[in-house]
Amino acid sequence: MTEFENTVAHGLERIAKATSDDDLERLRIEYLGRNSSISQTLSGLAAEPKEKRAEIGKAGNEAKQKIGAALEARAGELAATRMGKLAELEAIDVTFPAPPLDRGHIHVLNQVRSEVETILERLGYQVEEGPEIETDWYCFEALNLPKGHASRDLQETFFLAEDESIVLRTHTSSVQIRAMERLRTPPIFVIAPGRVYRRDNLDATHLPYFMQVEGLAVDEGLTVGDLKGTLLYLVQSLFGPERRVRMRPTYFPYTEPSFEFDTLCGRCGGAGCRSCGNQGWLETGGCGMVHPNVLRNGGLDPDQYTGFAWGFGIERMTLLKYDVEDLRLFYENDLRFNEQF
Amino acid sequence: MRVSYRWLGDFVDLDGLPPQEAANLLTMSGSKVESLLVIDLSAIVVGKVLEQRPHPSSRDPLWIHQVDLGAETRQIVAGAPNATPGTLVPVALPGTVVPSGKQVRDAKIAGEEGRGMMCSAAELLLGEDHSGIMLLAEGKPGQSLGELFPLDAVLDVEVTPNRPDCLGHMGIGRELAAVSGRPMKRDFMPPFIEGEDPPAVDLIKIAIEEPDLCTRFVGAPVTGLKVGPSPAWVQVRLRLAGVRPINNVVDATAYGMLEYGKPTHAFDLRRLRGGELRVRRARDGESLLCLDGQTRRLSPAMLVVADGAGPVAIGGTIGGEESAVQADTTDVLIESAGWNGVNIRGTSRALGLRTEASARHEKGLAPELALAGARRVTALVREWAGGTVHREWIDLYPRPQEPIRVHVTPEKIDALLGAHVPLTESRAILDRLGFQTRVQDDGDWDVMVPVFRLDVAIPEDVVEEVGRIYGVDRIPPTLPGRRHERWTPAPTTRPLETIRQVLAGAGFAEAVTPGLVSSALLEKLGLAERMRRLLNPMSEELDAMRTSLLPSLLQVARLNQNRGRPQVRLFEVARVYLARSQDPTGLADEPLALAALAHTGGAPAAGREGFLLLKAVTDRLAHALSLPLPAYERASDALFHPGRTAAVLLDGVRAGVLGELHPSLGADFDLDGRVVALQLDLETLLGAAKPRQVRPLPRFPAVQRDLAVVLPEGQPTAAVQAAIRDVAGSLLELVRAFDEYRSPELGEGVKSLAFALTFRSPERTLTDSEVDQLMDQTRRRLETEFKAKSR
Repeated sequence: MTEFENTVAHGLERIAKATSDDDLERLRIEYLGRNSSISQTLSGLAAEPKEKRAEIGKAGNEAKQKIGAALEARAGELAATRMGKLAELEAIDVTFPAPPLDRGHIHVLNQVRSEVETILERLGYQVEEGPEIETDWYCFEALNLPKGHASRDLQETFFLAEDESIVLRTHTSSVQIRAMERLRTPPIFVIAPGRVYRRDNLDATHLPYFMQVEGLAVDEGLTVGDLKGTLLYLVQSLFGPERRVRMRPTYFPYTEPSFEFDTLCGRCGGAGCRSCGNQGWLETGGCGMVHPNVLRNGGLDPDQYTGFAWGFGIERMTLLKYDVEDLRLFYENDLRFNEQF
Repeated sequence: MRVSYRWLGDFVDLDGLPPQEAANLLTMSGSKVESLLVIDLSAIVVGKVLEQRPHPSSRDPLWIHQVDLGAETRQIVAGAPNATPGTLVPVALPGTVVPSGKQVRDAKIAGEEGRGMMCSAAELLLGEDHSGIMLLAEGKPGQSLGELFPLDAVLDVEVTPNRPDCLGHMGIGRELAAVSGRPMKRDFMPPFIEGEDPPAVDLIKIAIEEPDLCTRFVGAPVTGLKVGPSPAWVQVRLRLAGVRPINNVVDATAYGMLEYGKPTHAFDLRRLRGGELRVRRARDGESLLCLDGQTRRLSPAMLVVADGAGPVAIGGTIGGEESAVQADTTDVLIESAGWNGVNIRGTSRALGLRTEASARHEKGLAPELALAGARRVTALVREWAGGTVHREWIDLYPRPQEPIRVHVTPEKIDALLGAHVPLTESRAILDRLGFQTRVQDDGDWDVMVPVFRLDVAIPEDVVEEVGRIYGVDRIPPTLPGRRHERWTPAPTTRPLETIRQVLAGAGFAEAVTPGLVSSALLEKLGLAERMRRLLNPMSEELDAMRTSLLPSLLQVARLNQNRGRPQVRLFEVARVYLARSQDPTGLADEPLALAALAHTGGAPAAGREGFLLLKAVTDRLAHALSLPLPAYERASDALFHPGRTAAVLLDGVRAGVLGELHPSLGADFDLDGRVVALQLDLETLLGAAKPRQVRPLPRFPAVQRDLAVVLPEGQPTAAVQAAIRDVAGSLLELVRAFDEYRSPELGEGVKSLAFALTFRSPERTLTDSEVDQLMDQTRRRLETEFKAKSR
């Protein structure tokens, strides 16, 4: 008996002095392992007289429990000490720079297009598509731009066929009639993002190819006020609530009335600065109430329905969002530029 | 259109309406003022030059002046010699900013004190002349120049093509009157001029041969006039409007045009041969020496005004030199005609000549304007050059202009604008714009459009007139309340966003490149078979629609390499354009394509690594888009490496190609190293999408085993894998090749492949012996089928 007690006393003393989990593990093996004196004694019970066996067994197990409990308690103490000292034990230099993540990115024009789509999809608009190689009918004629019309600037149009019947679309408005034909019955609320082409010389402010987003809403009772509210929602969702929108009357053959819409200059807040050419406003896009002839060409009755449409350049929107001076950068794809967005 | 603010004052009362406010009102009602230049000369004073002597030491020619400014005499240095003693000159004192923008400072010029600046006409925006100092005709020393030249401003107004009536001060003045609520000071039609004998018809005979293209011809002769300079104030106004003064007769036609927007022409009556004019088509081979000194060859598509000997003017576009008004001209014929706008535009385009006249006539001016213009110009000629106006002007008017009447339901105004405009206000607006509104018994409006407006024809046009003057700012913004009876979702663009996310996540940068490319490039690469060419390209670099995205991406890789960024990973999602075999000149197929490329190092292993990267991307795409697992099969493609190219198959359908590009292609684009590329047809890809199947989590543990075999070269891994799957059956959850290995120890012509196999039963825990048995069967199958030795 005193043998167990001695062992336990001795063991508890050493456990109390242990300073690491490794120490504790070694002590556990020494006192509780298969070769420990307690285990040896217990496994030798068979040799003991029968009347003594129970007594020794009991004492041995109690010794084991004591040692086990002490090991566990000491492990807890060590853990608590460690937790208390985490700052000194495991501190890292938080100012060391992170290695860059090996990740690609999405082109800024598609980021903006996608944002515009998301904003308008929340209002229930659907994305509609149309061909870029388009017939004269969808691109001009059906939009109230008959041959010989003053606004049909042939100089600006790329042709693919001799008779000028197949063109590269000059605007995404060409999707208007296609959308009306596909969806047939209002309410029709669609947006048509895509590439368009014009014979402009390539320079910092002109591209012969660019991207537009067209919006078209046709239903009963739509008004200029609805158009205005929609543009306000779109512009402020994109650029922030301080960016007011104004509409100026202008002329487009496919809308009546027609407007251009401007966004309050973000840099000067309307006071006038270099960025907005001292106007306080930045030209953003064109819009208007769909011309009755266009509704008719789309198979809809202008006496029953009205509609509004708007369009703007995605590059232009991107310029309004970020200060980019040269449009060509968008299509050059120097990754040092692309990666900034 | 350059508009003088003061000139507008002839048509509308400007009292209390400063230029900036007028500009804002015009902009917000549809006549956008692009720029506003205020000419305020009140700070400039009149000086009288007392003395002029050359600068003693300057190397450049300079003169030193003593100038009497009334209260004081100042020394002023100037570079021009024309301010001789006794002349009156405009002087800007230090601290003043002259209208052209220059700030005047005290300065020592080559050692001599200069205390002010004598101004040129250009510096004061009173003319183009900047070679010398402007000499004033009148004024007292010290007097403010603002008293001689009152406040003016130049408004550069963008006039929309539907509003040629606004290409003159009267039209802009009317807009300003309408939007500011002020009355117009002048009627559209100038008063009738009593003429004298002999009647016009005794002086000239005129005929129109093409009544469809020349809708009216008004001819007013003025005889016995004296050509000379026009009054100074007229010259100032013309210059502000951007027109160079010539003489009183020509200036009168320009002045009339700048008021009414109606170009007219003055012929020297005595230089017209044969006493007659005909408006006819030009004949083949005819040409005309024009007023600008150029001789132009004419064609029958063009209309000319011809005298007995030949053309004397190109209709509505430009006059001839030989019949032009000259210093000795005494008799003129004022021509004011109506022309077909489309024809004028065609002529203008064919000649490459756009004049002030053609720019207006091409918009299709109302024939009624012809008489107004003729009256105004004739009155001005008589006023400035004297002479006799003759009675019974010639006025050929084959098809008189029909008045336009529009039926408007007044409720429509509110319904379309989304704002309540009181009826009295709507009518007042229309009235100020020159419309006449008659209220019918049923309350609807019968609106008579003014003769100078050919752009208003339907009720919506009338609503626009009301809305733009009422003020768009006053319309409250609303969002449409949607009727929602049914919902037909369109195919969304979401899958494209998913594709972009996957590629970006794999380290690829998205490029956006033009759809227009060089046909020569496509031809050289063998990609021109279904290429669509432009009829009127701007350059050879951009003369065809692309049939593949790869060349564009290779160009981007080259650009980045040349700018110090080699080994880029790029992708683009865009359409390609393919001619249809049925209708090669009609619409094209425009399938969406994905191309990705990885520009790698030059070692063969780098190419293989790039290949596996793109394969991983493809597998990941398939997962993200819920496609079947792609299969890859050795394939060949002219642009690709013959031994390192695979077709991408989805359910056995070819969706694209993946592989290393042919080394010669890389060389064509000056790319160092190897390039691995992936091209996928997105229509096929997205068409293979299936609803995603979600599997329950397994309830029993898996058993993992590795299998390494040595087998002859040329056995595709996919075949071995298929055999393993076949033997192990449904208990094999997954088999994945993870190593391909060759070494001299293994021997020539063989390779080692290692596979990781995962076995699992959905119903129970598998025993080791069961799995061992399956592994043995697998090894035996590989031995017989592939001569594979287990390692």
